[in-house]
Amino acid sequence: MDYNAQLKLQSWLDGELPEAEASEITNWLTRDREAASLLEELRNTHNALAGFEATVRLPESREFFWSKVEREIQRLEAPAPKTARRSYLSLFRRFLVPASAVAAVLVAGLVLNRPTGLNGRSAVAEIETALADSGTFTYRDYSAGTTLVWLSYPADTEVAENDEMGTVE
Amino acid sequence: MNTHGFPAVEPMTVKDHSSADDQTLVRAAQRGNMAAFEELVARHRDKIYARAYSMMRNEEEAVDLSQEAWVKGWQRLRQFQGDSSFGTWMTRIVINLCLDQLRKHKRQRAESIEAMDEESGGVERQMPVVTVNPTAGLEQAELRQRIDRALGQLSYEHRTVLVLNEFEEMEYKEIARTMGCSIGTVMSRLFYARRKLAVLLADLKKRDSV
Repeated sequence: MDYNAQLKLQSWLDGELPEAEASEITNWLTRDREAASLLEELRNTHNALAGFEATVRLPESREFFWSKVEREIQRLEAPAPKTARRSYLSLFRRFLVPASAVAAVLVAGLVLNRPTGLNGRSAVAEIETALADSGTFTYRDYSAGTTLVWLSYPADTEVAENDEMGTVE
Repeated sequence: MNTHGFPAVEPMTVKDHSSADDQTLVRAAQRGNMAAFEELVARHRDKIYARAYSMMRNEEEAVDLSQEAWVKGWQRLRQFQGDSSFGTWMTRIVINLCLDQLRKHKRQRAESIEAMDEESGGVERQMPVVTVNPTAGLEQAELRQRIDRALGQLSYEHRTVLVLNEFEEMEYKEIARTMGCSIGTVMSRLFYARRKLAVLLADLKKRDSV
């Protein structure tokens, strides 16, 4: 008896064989004693296992086992609000912390790149324009230690205004 | 429902659930009634534990896994639509938990001798047929003890196929889907498991009669 025939016999015992093939097995079993013996062995094993699990009992009392199940359910349910809060915190950390870091870098960059002014003795020269009298310019060069004031009289703006009015003073 | 999707827990009531059928208890438990769920646990706990024990062969692990199955059952209770009986639905949960656990075990240890035998050509084909029923005339307790010992000597793949077919009454294709293998593999593993079990039971009979 080849292996495929043995597996076919098992399929027949398990009710997994199509009806057409099942009738072939019935005929074969009447002719082949070896196949009939194998089938008997498979049946004995099947019958020995029947009802085996029915004899197995949970080795803990109803109350004790339930108390463990109940405690575990309650443990899993209890941290729910904590988890939610943690998720808000994680969102805060995820977005606000990098955003704060970027903002800090930008502020630091602005502070460091700002012209230092008079006390810083910057090499950059400074030009002042007196807005009240736009004909006056002051030029300071800190590196050279010089200040130059440029006065125009009459002021260029006054000339322009008088020209527009048609009068010259 | 709370944020985890669990039914909100209703306080225990003094109502006696023992006379209600499973369907009524499931509906009550789906509304968050813990007392109804406790009654379901009490009714099916032995069956769920027995399935875990058949697969794991370890009492402590079987208790832990059956407890885990009940917790999962509560968590997923809203998904239970009643397509099968509640007992069957719970059994499938514990089977999947056991399979996950057995796969973890398998990764941690070398292949068993049985599995190697199967790979190397199938020793079951050369096994002589056990003509005398090795369990005939045994008392229930003795029979259970012998099957227990014999099942413990099978590799987890062979034992699982046997448990799913003999105890869970799964069809070949369902076993193949559950275990992630082909129907052909299920057939050969089942054949090997049965033949090996017959030989082991016969050996136990011989040893006990000496």
